[in-house]
Amino acid sequence: MNLPLRFLLTGILALFVAVGWLIVRPDILATYHYNQYVIALTHLLVLGWICTVVMGAMYQLVPVALETRLHSERLAKWQFVFQVVGVAGMVWMFWVWNMKQVGHFGSVLALGVALFVFNLVRTLLKVPRWTLVATAVTAALFWFSLTIVVGLSIATAKCTYDSAEQLSPTSILGAMIHGLRSVAGFMARFDQISAMHAHAHLGGVGFFVMMIVGVSYKLIPMFTLSEVQSHRRAAASIALLNVGLAGSFMTILLRSPWKLAFTLLMVAGLAVYGWELRAMLRARKRRSLDWGLRYFLTAVSLLAPLSILALVLSWPGLRLTAFTGQLENLYGFLGLVGVISFAILGMLYKILPFLVWFGSYGQEIGRSQVPALADMYSAKWQIAGYWMFLSGLMTTSVATVAANPLGVRAGCALLALSLATFAVNVGKILSHWLRPIIVPLNVKAPPCSPTTARSTAAPLGSLISAS
Amino acid sequence: MQDKVVRLDVREDIRRGREPFSKIMQTVAQLAQDESLLLIAPFEPKPLFAVLAQQGFSPSPKALPSGDWEVLFRRPTKTATSHSGADSPAATAHIVEVDARGLEPPQPMVKILEALAALPEDAELLARTDRRPMHLYPQLEQRGFSASSEEQADGSFATHIRRC
Repeated sequence: MNLPLRFLLTGILALFVAVGWLIVRPDILATYHYNQYVIALTHLLVLGWICTVVMGAMYQLVPVALETRLHSERLAKWQFVFQVVGVAGMVWMFWVWNMKQVGHFGSVLALGVALFVFNLVRTLLKVPRWTLVATAVTAALFWFSLTIVVGLSIATAKCTYDSAEQLSPTSILGAMIHGLRSVAGFMARFDQISAMHAHAHLGGVGFFVMMIVGVSYKLIPMFTLSEVQSHRRAAASIALLNVGLAGSFMTILLRSPWKLAFTLLMVAGLAVYGWELRAMLRARKRRSLDWGLRYFLTAVSLLAPLSILALVLSWPGLRLTAFTGQLENLYGFLGLVGVISFAILGMLYKILPFLVWFGSYGQEIGRSQVPALADMYSAKWQIAGYWMFLSGLMTTSVATVAANPLGVRAGCALLALSLATFAVNVGKILSHWLRPIIVPLNVKAPPCSPTTARSTAAPLGSLISAS
Repeated sequence: MQDKVVRLDVREDIRRGREPFSKIMQTVAQLAQDESLLLIAPFEPKPLFAVLAQQGFSPSPKALPSGDWEVLFRRPTKTATSHSGADSPAATAHIVEVDARGLEPPQPMVKILEALAALPEDAELLARTDRRPMHLYPQLEQRGFSASSEEQADGSFATHIRRC
């Protein structure tokens, strides 16, 4: 199987597991978020679903968007193994709260991440013409690496090092244990919850939001037939986001009242991004927006309420009460599910059909009749999925603020239904990979037209996915 | 015979609110006797048809899937019989041009590969795209073609495709 596809499908699987999990245990979201179950589930969502999909998409899109080739497919294959073993082990060990094993599996994951970052940095070094998208990708890789380092340091700080006394610091194992103990000592200076929040923010904003904003400047013009309207505006959004994030990481970690100032910088960056996004959409030549793009754009517009929430939560001297604790839950949920996951679902509707189509039919284009991209899945299911996702998001958000487990369960059920529609469509798309529909082209026949292929593609596709 | 086609894309000018008329007339003035003008505009430029008819050009407009229009202005050929000659493979190495701009991916690739399948043995394909056609290269390689892309002044790409 094509390498990016492998990452995408593994990520999708993790998403299904995570949502199923929330339906069985809705209390996880309806209580304060500093407990082992929330942390296990969050890592399943963030590392298993979001991270894995983003990695797959980056292996696919970064070389294409930046007009070069991926440095090494082999490294990426190895990274896949580390990613799966690392995430599965970490989530399991968070669940049973064995921090030592979390650290071990986390190291396996980190090794994979190191391969990923190395591979992409080598790819970036070959880019013929440096662009803003390349800058955003570089920044995202940097913040991602830092997130992993901070995460592992937090895990290190939660372990004990009794064996250090019996081990000589000059032996290999001893040096490692002593080293880890001093990292733990260093981390003890910081408030544990602040360190966790700083870590989460660094990953969520630094890696995912940075990638969403960065690739928007390539993908939105490409899919809507438009152009970046102001390169200065686009550059300003990336710059503000980066400066804001650096400051916000430090101020969250140190519990500084300056946190608000840096939140404002990031919100300003997102506002400029929204401004440019609007300008690009207004200048588009393709008037109708397909539903994949609507998923993406709706998700991105949820950055507005998220920003307001961010400003409230970074208000100096905000007291932690049961209510503000729920607001923090809402912030995390809306960010990870509402913005990032929703945006990724939209992008998957663009990337996944293309990857399968290209793999199955690439060699047949111009030689046989091949289905059109839009015929590979059902738009009806896609639209139904959109509305269910949106209503599930709203229900879960309200129920989270009200700390109502029943409401969370209802909301998550809606989200799960939405994902079921997505699963149906993924099945339809994959059916083209399992059984390509290639109609031989008669020598005299006119070149393939999508409308002729449609009639054969749709019923066959639905038959296969239904079975 | 219509060997040479001069392309003029005025979509960008119109989008920026610039009047393309003088640019078009300038290009027409520079056309050699055997050259035609291929005009690409965001709408069907009907007023222009009468103006250029006075100079002996007849238009053949074509709507593009992107909603833009492509109009080929040519002077009537002196030898009407040589018309069929343009399609015959006996003609000297000629270039078939495919404009795949203004299409959503993967349509540009489909359009180019379909044109390639119908390409006469001795002809070359000149494909115009909005982006560097990264997904196209491996497909061309597999089919025994070589390609070289050049970025144009307007940011689009022209890719020359020939048999290896």
